[in-house]
Formats: sequence, C-alpha cells, structure tokens
Amino acid sequence: MAQLLEYIKMALANIKANKGRSILTMLGIIIGISSVITIMAVGDGFEKEMNDQLNSMAGGQLYVYAGDEASNNEDYMNNDDMDAVESEIAGVTGTSPDYADYGTVLTPKGSFDLVLRGGGTAQQEVSALEMVGGRFYNQSDISTGNRVCVIKKNDAIKAFGTDDVLGMNLEVTLYNITIDLTIIGVSQDKNSDSMLFGYNTDRISLEMPYTTFESFGWETTDSIYGFYITTDGTLPSKEVADNTLKLLRDRHHAQTEDYYLLQDFNDQLATVNNTMGMITGFISLVAGISLLVGGIGVMNIMLVSVTERTREIGIRKSLGAKTGSIMLQFLAESAIIACIGGLIGVALGLLMAHGICSLPMLGFAPGVKVSTILLATLFSSGIGIFFGIYPARKAAKLSPIEALRRN
Amino acid sequence: MEKLIEIRDMCKIYNPGENEVRALDHVNLDVYEGELVAIIGHSGSGKSTLMNMLGCLDVPTIGQYCLHGMDVSSLSDNDLSEIRNLEIGFIFQGFNLISNLTAMGNVELPLIYRGVGKAERTRLAYEALCMVGLEKRLDHKPSEMSGGQQQRVAIARAIAARPPVILADEPTGNLDSSSTKEIMGILRQLHSEGRTVIIITHDDDIAEQAKRIIRIMDGKIVEDIINENYQENYLEQKESGKDA
Repeated sequence: MAQLLEYIKMALANIKANKGRSILTMLGIIIGISSVITIMAVGDGFEKEMNDQLNSMAGGQLYVYAGDEASNNEDYMNNDDMDAVESEIAGVTGTSPDYADYGTVLTPKGSFDLVLRGGGTAQQEVSALEMVGGRFYNQSDISTGNRVCVIKKNDAIKAFGTDDVLGMNLEVTLYNITIDLTIIGVSQDKNSDSMLFGYNTDRISLEMPYTTFESFGWETTDSIYGFYITTDGTLPSKEVADNTLKLLRDRHHAQTEDYYLLQDFNDQLATVNNTMGMITGFISLVAGISLLVGGIGVMNIMLVSVTERTREIGIRKSLGAKTGSIMLQFLAESAIIACIGGLIGVALGLLMAHGICSLPMLGFAPGVKVSTILLATLFSSGIGIFFGIYPARKAAKLSPIEALRRN
Repeated sequence: MEKLIEIRDMCKIYNPGENEVRALDHVNLDVYEGELVAIIGHSGSGKSTLMNMLGCLDVPTIGQYCLHGMDVSSLSDNDLSEIRNLEIGFIFQGFNLISNLTAMGNVELPLIYRGVGKAERTRLAYEALCMVGLEKRLDHKPSEMSGGQQQRVAIARAIAARPPVILADEPTGNLDSSSTKEIMGILRQLHSEGRTVIIITHDDDIAEQAKRIIRIMDGKIVEDIINENYQENYLEQKESGKDA
C-alpha cells in the first residue's frame, strides 16, 4: 500500500494549494469538535470537583434521622441521645443537629439578612470550617447555651470592615427576639475555592451552639429530628452507623428497624453524577448536530472540488489512474481536512475549557482524558471519510473523455 | 516489424436509433512498431473518435481493436486504465499538465499509477525531462513555463514510463511556429529512436512531416499513403529543430 502514501501526498498538496478554502471547510468540524472537547473537559472537571467536595463533606460523617415510623414526639431524639452516642459509641468524635434559621443582624455597617446555624460538637467539621482567630464553641458552651458565635472572615469584614472582631457583639434578631451574641472565633471555609458554597451573598452567616436557640424561645433540645455524627475514621462507618442506630432504638424502645435511619451520602453523589451525565449528554447532542453540519460542509466543498477538478481527474485517468486511485485521493483529502479540523478543534476546545474553568466563580481544573482527544480526532477523520465517499465516488466514476473535454 | 495496432471493422455509433451518428464507419487499420503515422482529417471527420479508440479512452460499438496482441475492445474501465498506463503515452493539444505539480511531479504521475518506487521513479522522470531538454526546469510549475516548455513536459510525461505507443493529439495546436518546430523535432527524434508515434492533426504541414499519412473523412479512412518527401523533410526539420 505504498501507493496510499502517494495519494496522501497528493491530497496534502491540494489542501495546501487551496489553503483558505480548506480552512473554511474545516470550520464546521472545528466548531463541533471544540465544543465537544470543551463540554467533556468542563463536565469531567466539574464532576470530579463535585465528587471531591461531596466526598470531603461526607468523609467520616454520618447522618441519622427519625423515619416515618417515629411519628410521636417522644420518638424524636434529644440531647441526651446525642450525648449517649458521643460517649457510648466507639469511634464517634462529635454530634450536631445542624439547625439553621433566618433572621437579621445589626452591625456597625448596617443591618443584614442572617443565616443562623446552631450545631453541636461536630459542627465545625460538618460546616467544613477552619479557624483563623479565636476558637470554635465547645462542649461547655453547648451545655450552658452560651450566647456566643463564630463568624466567617469575609462576613466579619462585611459587618465591621475588619476581621479583628473577637469579643465584639452582634445584635441578632430572630422570631422578634433580639439578643446580643459575642464573637468568640473567626473562621473560613476549608475549601476556600469552594464553588458549591463559596459564592458571595449579602447574607451574613453565624455559627452558634444549637442550645442557644433556646434564648430565642425555640425548644431545640427535646425533639431532634436528626443529627450528624463525625467519626475518627478508625472503625468502618457502617459499624459506627449500625451501633448508633441500635443504641437509638434501644433508648426509645423502637418496635421496628425503620424508626431510625442512616442517610447515605453516596446517594447524593449518584444524583449529582446523574444530573451531570444528563447535561453532558444534552450538550453533546447539540455538538453532534454541529459535527453533522460540519460533515455536510466537507461533502459540499468536496463536491465543488470534484467539479472544479474534472479536467485534472480526466488527465489522471488518461495516465492510468484507476477508479480506486481517484477515490482514495479524494477520500484522503476529505479525511485529512476533517482530521486537521479535528486537531484544531481539540486544541481550541482545551483552551476554551481552560478559560471556562478558570473563571472566578468556578476555579477548578478541566478534566482532560487522552481517550477523549484520541476519540475526537479519530471521529473527525471518520466524518471526513464518511462524507467524502459520495464526492469521491462521483470523481472516480467520471469518464476520461468527458472529463478531458471540459475546461 | 511486429504489428502493434490492429483495428478490424471498427464502428463507433453515437445515439443508436433514428438520429444515429456513425463517428467511425468500418475502419480497418494496422500500425507496426517503429512507425511515425499522421492521422489527418477535418473537424467532424471522426479523427478525435479514432484517437479515443486508439488511446483506449473509449471502446468501439462494433469491431475489434488489438493493441500489442491483446483484444482491448471490450475491457472494463479499470482494465482500460491499466492498458493506458502500460501501453500508451498521451500528448494533448492543451498540454493537460496538473497545475499544482512541478514538471517533475507531472512526469512522475504515470509512474506513480504504475506503482514504480520513489528512487526508480525519480530516475526515469529525470531522464525523460533531460531527453526533452528541461533538466533545468525540474521544479517549475506549468504556470512558470512557456507553451513549448509545457508541451515538452507533457512529452516527457508520455515517454517516462516507456510505453510502446505515443499518441499525440494535435500536439502543436496551441503553439507558435518555433515551438511547433521544436515539438515536431522531438517527436521525430523519438521515432528515430525506434518508438511508435501516432500524430492526430488537421494540419497538412504537420502531417507532411510523418512517414505515413492516413486521411480520414466522414468516419472512413479515405487515404493511407507512405510520405515520399519524408527523408529530406526530416533532415530539414532536424536542422531547424536544433536551432529552435
């Protein structure tokens, strides 16, 4: 098949001779492939980022809650249950009901909407916070319901214009009750580039012991619907969960196993991945259509090229080119045009994916797979060959006399 | 001398039926190896059709064509391509070079289709271009050459693969008189080297330079003579061919 090399050379010479037109022909393929690559890279990167975040959130965390069977108030859990879990179950490092409600807060910089979160000993980990000043509230703050709070660094700057706010008071209003909370710590998100929770809002969010909600008149300690458990990772989380559920059932004399349930974060992961898959699938469909249009563009130009080069085809045939030779020459040309278009598309797509992923609101690495790039290149060549068949056949079937007669 | 071309009762009929056109009407023709033949006729005489038949570009409606001992009158397109590649070197009126290939590239084409390897191909193409005196124009494209030079490239292309028959269709039709002399000189030189050359023309002056003249009219051969002026004419032309 040494001849094939000759046909490829001929095709390359022809593409070079018609540079402008060849590039325009490639455009459809370039747009199609670059959008596929962009979507794939951004999608894969996003999926990986989501998984990482959910995994870090779920890492060593469990959430138990009362099932539908536990409909009576006494079946709900209370702070004694949480204390019992914390002290009796091996491997547990903390618990938190992770309450939240919306109120307002008055600051030196004015009044803001407020997200007030009330947690237990596990809350710092549940909220994925790290301290940049002061301390997080501790067990004694929780048992006494101290009026203390932890503020995020950027919220502190919003409220006070500085992050040096330890010991300052905030006037918090919830359910028409206004209470001063003392700032004992300044925190920031562990995943500072977090895209899920990192977006800026006008709200201020504060963390305080869940028992402090009682100062606002909310009985939080008696009927706890569910709570987080953090573990030290020394025991399999399945074992910790089973022990916890058993303890809760024993303490409440539950009749069936459905009284207390474990929420599995893998479910959420699967949902996210599923959604991403659907989005990727849909956009890929659109990109597929643009590839189809690009392929038709290649076919169109090749048909024009065949008409234009009828005489050349006649010359070649008179010199002994067989049907197959002419066919291969034209197929090689359309395949090469589409393949070069594909390669440019891949490069462009990677650039665009990089650009999109480095937008400030996103900020993650695009996920680029070698297999995607290879597949895209192969696929574009395939398009070139598929859409080149008709024009190439047309060229190959020309009668040499007819072809030589035309100008 | 071996018989190279043998045509028996050849007819080519276009539009068979009511308005049929007999472009060739029971033509019989033999051409022997080493001949220099001119086929002369006015336009519409059927000479182009005969040229297409001789060149295996078309097949006859009726009759037989044996080329180099093989009956080619009913071969398929692909087989005809192969026969053309192996047996015939074409020279056209309009040169018919491929515009984006260099002189070398054009001359190499029939060798590529024959499947000759790169080194051998380059050698044969170079030899052919030297033979027509274009060894200094190897990398020129057709647009960078004069008509005479382009036709010389076409001759080089026709002879590079050393086919038994060289078929020239109005080879000087697009050329001025000095280029015409030059090209005719080369064709006669090819003949003197023992090649079989068939020139199709409408021009008596061109036909006069051939050894055998076949006149065709209304699809029939009306005259087939040996040119008696051939020898001295040849010498004269050789002189002017060198000058040109």
